[in-house]
Formats: sequence, structure tokens, C-alpha cells
Amino acid sequence: MQPQLKSKVRCLDREVGEVSKIIMDPLSHEVSHLVVSMNGTGERQVPMGAVQVVTDGLVQLRSSSSEVMGMEPFKREDYVTLHEVEIPGLEKQIHVTPGEVLVPFPELERNVKRRAFFANLTYVTGLFIGLPLVYPVMKFLMKPMYAPLDNGWLKIGNIGKIKTEDIGIQFQYKRKIKEVYMPEAEIEKNVWLVKATPAVLEKVYQGKDVEFLDSSGKAIWTNKKDMPYLAFSGKCPHLGCAYKWRKHKVLGQVFLCPCHLSIYDASGKVLDGPAPRSLDMLPIQVTAGGEVQIIDMEFKAGTKSQTRIV
Amino acid sequence: MSDTPSTGTQPTVAEKIFTFVDERVGLKLLAAKMLNESVPGGSRWAYVFGSILLFIFIMQAITGVLLMFYYVPTADHAYASTQYILHDVDYGWFLLSYHFWGSTAMVVCVFAHMSQVFLWGAYKKPRELIWLVGLALFALVMGFGFTGYLLPWDQRAYWATTVGVEIMDKMPVLGDFLARFLKGGPTPGQMTLSRFFVIHVMVLPAALIALAGLHLFLFRCAGPAGPFRGAPAELKAKTDYFFPRQIWKDVVGMAVVFACISAMAFWEPVVLLEEATPDPGDYHPEPEWYFLFIFQHLRLKMFSGELGQFLGSMGLPGLLGMMLVLLPFFDRNPERNIFKRPFALIGWVMLTASILLFTVSAIINRDFLD
Amino acid sequence: MNEHISPTKLGFGILWPAFWTGLPFKLAFAVLFLAFGIIHFENRIALAFVMLLASPVTVFAVPTVTLALGSNIGEGPGIALLFLLAIPIDIWSLGIVGRTFFLERLRREPPGGLGLTLWWKCALVGAIYVPILWVAQGAITEAAIAGAYSILEADVLRGIPVAEGISIKLTLWSTVATVALLVLFVVGFSLVGRMIRRTVQSAGHAPENYQGLIVRWDLMRVPLDQGWMLTALSGAAVVLSVLFWFSLPVFTPHPHDCCKKPEVMAEPPFKPLEILNENEKMIARLAAQVELLVEQRAKSELDKEQSKGKGKEGTEIVEAPDATKPAAPTAAKQ
Repeated sequence: MQPQLKSKVRCLDREVGEVSKIIMDPLSHEVSHLVVSMNGTGERQVPMGAVQVVTDGLVQLRSSSSEVMGMEPFKREDYVTLHEVEIPGLEKQIHVTPGEVLVPFPELERNVKRRAFFANLTYVTGLFIGLPLVYPVMKFLMKPMYAPLDNGWLKIGNIGKIKTEDIGIQFQYKRKIKEVYMPEAEIEKNVWLVKATPAVLEKVYQGKDVEFLDSSGKAIWTNKKDMPYLAFSGKCPHLGCAYKWRKHKVLGQVFLCPCHLSIYDASGKVLDGPAPRSLDMLPIQVTAGGEVQIIDMEFKAGTKSQTRIV
Repeated sequence: MSDTPSTGTQPTVAEKIFTFVDERVGLKLLAAKMLNESVPGGSRWAYVFGSILLFIFIMQAITGVLLMFYYVPTADHAYASTQYILHDVDYGWFLLSYHFWGSTAMVVCVFAHMSQVFLWGAYKKPRELIWLVGLALFALVMGFGFTGYLLPWDQRAYWATTVGVEIMDKMPVLGDFLARFLKGGPTPGQMTLSRFFVIHVMVLPAALIALAGLHLFLFRCAGPAGPFRGAPAELKAKTDYFFPRQIWKDVVGMAVVFACISAMAFWEPVVLLEEATPDPGDYHPEPEWYFLFIFQHLRLKMFSGELGQFLGSMGLPGLLGMMLVLLPFFDRNPERNIFKRPFALIGWVMLTASILLFTVSAIINRDFLD
Repeated sequence: MNEHISPTKLGFGILWPAFWTGLPFKLAFAVLFLAFGIIHFENRIALAFVMLLASPVTVFAVPTVTLALGSNIGEGPGIALLFLLAIPIDIWSLGIVGRTFFLERLRREPPGGLGLTLWWKCALVGAIYVPILWVAQGAITEAAIAGAYSILEADVLRGIPVAEGISIKLTLWSTVATVALLVLFVVGFSLVGRMIRRTVQSAGHAPENYQGLIVRWDLMRVPLDQGWMLTALSGAAVVLSVLFWFSLPVFTPHPHDCCKKPEVMAEPPFKPLEILNENEKMIARLAAQVELLVEQRAKSELDKEQSKGKGKEGTEIVEAPDATKPAAPTAAKQ
């Protein structure tokens, strides 16, 4: 029978107090010591070897009361409760009334400084594993993110398609792309052309030619202010939807984006809606035979200034 | 023994957050139960293999996910996309080679971990369930190696898979069905690649995570076995908690494994052969090295003929597997000291030696083919 | 209780943990040097690993083995540098392991400068013994292989099939070689143990009880200034990582000339139809080129002729394009 908490403890000569705590051995899962509260004169740690017999509510010791008084005083800081450690199967072994059941706090764990040191050493060693990989992994993921810009001219059709001035006409064209390991493919894109009257041209150019630069800042093309054809990228500068040429009840014929109702006039200027800037003009040239060529460009949507991304 | 040292002044933000969470989920109790597990006989370098396996798996998962950013599991792009990773993406060769050598490290560490549990007698009562789940995990690791080998879709991949599936075909009753199930048809092709891919990146990881969780849970229920000898006074003096010393040792072990795998990636980066086709050209098909011993012993005369083939490819490995499964139920002797268990010791030495012998034989055998 | 520990146990008990204690540091440098491309290991990487692992004893033996016995583990200045860096690491690891062993196993007071003493003793034994082991093991293995082959070539055993033959030969010679290697290792450990024994005997007994000793060796691992050491280690991690980032090859590194792996190359499979198609395409392309050249020549000749021809009449030049023209279109059509 296991000793119970609150049991009276009797020595050979007299009763000395009661069991206040029980100490378990983490290896054998047996009770190793009793802590006896000595009727107000401190606590003594009594090994189970000194116990003669355990009955209900009473623990009979082999030693005399003076011997027990001479035993090691109980040091609480050397022990931890079962709530603070994990010792599988130990709790199944205890048949004492619930109370403070203790196991020894291992000698090697008593110094907080050492615990902290080994804990920190763990983090630092982890740094040796994680940090070397940060940069290579970032570069690995970034590989296809920044493709070089393509400044080649693309034929998109004949100017004869445009009959009326200041009207948006959509031109479709095909563009070859070679994406990473995929075979070369063609995608369809579109661009809006306007044959502009001098008034509209003045609104667009405001007396100055428009120069297009490549990523290193070198000029690749200049749209002359007296050239009557305007080409607008098919991507709405608000959030990248595809806009259309539509009739508006109040504003008349306009470029209208169906997504968030940005409205632009034939010169690409914002008339209404959330768009932050005018439509994006593209480099355009028209040959003597009326063949239209553009440089395919896309710009970041949603910003006030133009940032080219394709 | 408080985990948050109090400075005596106002609590810091971190302490406030800790207290906030602690009040709601009992963080302190949880942390104590998780970390303050006493390790009988103290933390040891010998105990690092389980944690190292977990680490290798996590690294395989990370590198695997990174590779999937570029890899495409289709017969017409798998090879091209793998070559793209190897030759065009920055550091792609390193991540792919790490993933490749990581699988080797996984097999080596699984073998070390199992050997240790076997030799330490740590599969005995009350740890039988941990051993069983561990065996299932071992099968999963081999499955990872087998399915992953096909994905680059080069000649090596294609032929190793072809031969491997043929071996599976020899299983009685279920063999034909299983082989067709894996191939997704009568011959290897696009469906095989799709199936192997899904098994490799979805089915096996999910199963492994679940079983590894169960393995850990069962381990925490039974507790660490500790050394098989030593006086109680010695064990008591050396006893410490899982955290921080054992965790620190585990992390150092992980760093060593990380360095070794990286070194192997430098030493022999992955290079692909020609794209897979059902015509081997000048290539001598061979499986990954950890299947070589099975591959080699099938070359022996005693395993020729239908019965021999079955014995060599399925019978003997199956029998060995059954013996491992039944081991803790047979061996009820509580003695854990390996030097007092001569049959276990001799058995382990014989098995390891024969695996080594047949693996090396397969390598020597290459000379006869050139 | 450990007055009469055997020299083999003593040597093994100190060297084995010392090998592993130094390894993580040495490996970090090895990986960095591999990334820098200043080390190239040959095929026997396992041997290189063992040599590095055992650097307290192989440090002086490596030059002997490479230079005198002509046996390489790899190429590059990094190998020498690595073994040089291993010296302080080994002195430190032998020190900490030695002190632990003295306290825990021998219950003796470790003398000052133990790491250095152990290191030079190990290195000395290794410098002499490892080359001997190398030569002896090499000779035994060769003899065993020759023996195994000659046994299998006996007339009675000729009928053994290839695969069985390989495994039987391997079993025969590898058993001999393994046993020899184990014996040589035991002798080596006992030599180191004998060298160390004097240091052990001159050390006084440690006063504490067992628990006290354990706590002491545990405390030995905790530096006086934890913050400084942790900061230094974190700094080292950052510096080494940055070095690694800049040295890691962006694309697959090519192996050094010394250490090229025997590449298993699959020949491109023979596909008759595709090859025919490709050949046809090439013929068509070449034919088109020839046609273009001929036309150009004809044109330039014509120009010349026109400029010159005011005086002369050249009929023979005009014939050339006519002669080639019929051939070209037929080739292009295929």
C-alpha cells in the first residue's frame, strides 16, 4: 500500500507529524521519499527505506523521533511538480490522494543560466542551417520575374480600316512569346487606334513630341506631334481591364472600361471614373502603303506615372 | 525555472503577449509538458536520428515545393522543365541536387534509426506500437524514393520505374492490378507520370505527416527508452530534460546532415540523361542505389524462373518485412542489452553485411556491361 | 574504479567523441570551400570524409599519404587549408572531450593544456601509424582480391555464373579486408591509448562525488561570457552565409579535370523516321544555300561581264547557272 497524503506519521516512540508531500523516482516510477511536516518544526525528507509499515491513514517508521528530526530538511527548490515535467506513465503509478506529488528537479537543469545558454545555442545553430539558403532560394524564385523588354516593331494591320476621325478602332495582332521551357507560342493582343483631328492631337501632345526610352534610358522612338494616328495600349491604366469604345449618354463617344467605369475621351484623357492617368500611348509608325506598326508595351496599372513592365 | 525571465520592472511586449496567450491556452503548462520531458540517463548524441529524419523530411518538403514552382508533370514538358531548373534557373541545380541527395540521406538515416532501435532493444514492451508505425514510415520513405525517381523523365528514371513496376507485378493475386494501377495502363506513359507525381507530392507527404505525428505521439506516451545499462546513480546524475540539451544536440546533428547533403550536391550535382523513351539506346537500366541490392540478387541463378523471381522480388523481402512486424511480439524477453541478445546481434550483422555485399556487387557488375 | 582501463578503450574513448565534436566546424568550412571551388573531391568521397573526420590523427599523415604514396583524395588548395584549419578545432575538441573523459570515466583531475597534449600525441602516432595502416591495408586488400580471383578461376569453379561469381569474390576478399581493417584500427587505438596513459597516470584524483563531476563537465560547456560567445557565433553564421551566397555557383559547377565522374551517358535512341526527316531538311537547306550562292555568283559575273563585256563577248560564263539550276529545286522539294 502506498502512503497517503495527510497520513499521520508515527516514529518508534511517538507521533511526529503528517505526510505533506510525496516524492517519486522518475526512473522506477516508485515512491522514493515522504516529506513529513513535523508539527510546525519544519519539514523532513524521509526515505521509503525508513518506513516500516503503511496502513490506512498511518505511516509507521523504523526510527525514533530524534533520528527523524536529524534527517535532511526538505528543500522545495530541488523538486518540481508533475505539472512541470513530462514523465510518461508516472501518474498511473500514484494511488495517493491528489496533492503535491513531486519528482526531483534534475541537477543538470537547476541553473537557469545554463538552460538559457543551450536554448540560445540552438537558435544560433539553426541560423547556420537557415541563413545560407535565404539568398539562393530568393534568387531561385525570382528567375522569371524580371524579363527583358522587347522593343521590336509589330505589324498590326492597314490604316485603311479607319474611316472616321476621332473614333476608337480596335486592331488585333499576334505576338510571339517564348516562355521558359515551353515551346514558342503566339498570343493575341489588341490595341486601340484613333485618327486624330488637330484639336485632339494638340490635347495629346501639347506641342511636344513624345519620346520613348528603353530600360537603360536610350531613346528608341519618337511619336511626332503632327502624325495624326494615335495608338493606345489595350490595358486600362486603372486596374488592367480591357476597355471598349462605347456611346455614353452624356459624354458621347468615349473609351469606357466596364470594370470600374473609367471613362476616357478620344485623346485618352480621363473624363470620369477612378483611373489615375490617361490611356497609355504606344510608339506608332505608318508606312507609305498604310501598314501600321507599333511597339508592344504594357505599363503598370493604378499608378499616376507610367512604369513599363512589358 | 521560469521560461520568461522577469526583469523586475515593467513587463516587455513579448512578456505581455506571452501572458495573454498563456491565460487562454495554458502555454506554460503546454511548454512544460512538451519540453521538460526527462531523458533517462541524460541527453545523448546517439538520440539525434529521429529528429534528423524529421529535419530531412522538412527540408525535402521545402526543396520539393520550390522545385514544383518550375516542374511540370507532363510527358512532353517534365524533362524540359527539369532541364530548365538545372540549367537556367539561378541555383536550381543546387536545390534539385539537394533534394536528390536528401533522399539518400533520408534512407541512410532511416536505416541508422531502425538499427539503433533494434540494437538498443527499444521496440520491446511498451514500445511495440512505435516500432510498427516506424516500419510503416520506412515503407513510405522507400515509396518516396521510388516515385520521385521517375519525375525527371529521363532514361534513368523511365527504366528504373519500368523494372520496379515489373517487380511489383510479381506479387501474387494483386500484382497485375497494382502494376496497372501505378502505370495507369499497360505500359508506362503520361498516366504513370501523373500518378507517380500525385503519389509523390500529395499522397505520401500526407501519409507521412500523419504517421510521423502518430509516431511522435506514441513516443511521448511511452517515453524514451534510455540506455540499456548503467547504474541508477549514474543515470540519475546525468538525467536532464529534452529541452534544451537534447534539442541543441539535435540541431547540431541537423546542421551536420545539412552540410553533408550540401557537400554531396557539390560533389555530384544531378545531371539528366536523354529524355525518356521506350528505347533504351545505349543505357543500362539501374534503379536508385538503395534498391540496388534487390536488383542485384535478382541476377542470381537461384532467383530465376517464375518461382525464383517471386521469391527474390517479393517472397524474401516480404518475409523480412513480416519478421520485422512480428518482432516485438516474438521477442518478449525484457533484456535490452544487445550483447546479451546474440541472435539479434548476429541477425543484424548478417542482414547489413548482405545488403552491403549485394549493393557493392551491383556496382562491380557495371564493369561486365561495358 | 578505472585504474586499469585498457589502452584500446582509452584511445577509443577519447578519439571517437573528439572526431565527432570537431566535425561540424570542419564540415562548415568544407562546404564553403566546395562552394568556392577550391576543393574537388575524387570518386572516393567516403574516404575524404573519413580523413576529415579523423583529422586529429590524419593531419600529418595526409601529406605523407598523398605525396609519398601517391594516393589522392582530391585536388585543390582547399584541402591543405582545411587540414590546417582543423588543427585548432581538433585541439579544442580533444580538450573538451579529454576533460570530460578524465572527469567522468577516469574520475581524475584533468591537467592544464590537456587539448594540446592530446593533440600532439595523437598527431604523432597518426603521422607514423596511418601511412603504415594505409600500406598494410592496401597490400592485404590487393592480396585478398588476387586470392579470391585465383580461387574462383580454379577449374572446378569455372561454371559459376557471373552474378554469383561477383558476390562470392566480393564476400571472400571483403571479409579478409574488413577483419584486417578492424585489427589495424584496434592496434591504432591502443597505440594512442598507450601514448596517453602517462598523462592519465600523472593526473590526480578528482575530489567531487559523481553528481558533482557531471555538473562540472556540464558547466565546462557553458562559457563565462555567454552573450559574447552567442554574438560571436551569430556573427560567424552571418559572415559564413554571406560568403556562401557569393561563392555558390549560380549554375551547375563543372567538375575539375582531376575528378570527372565516369558519366553514364545514354546514347540518343535511334529513330529512323526522325533522322530521315532531319537529313532531308538539312539537304533542302543546303541545296537552297547552294542555289543562292550560284545565283549570287551569276549575278556578280553578269555585272562584271556587263562592265567588261562592252568590248568582249563571254558566252561560257552564262552557262554555269543553267547547269546547276535544275538540280536545286528537286532537292528542295523532297
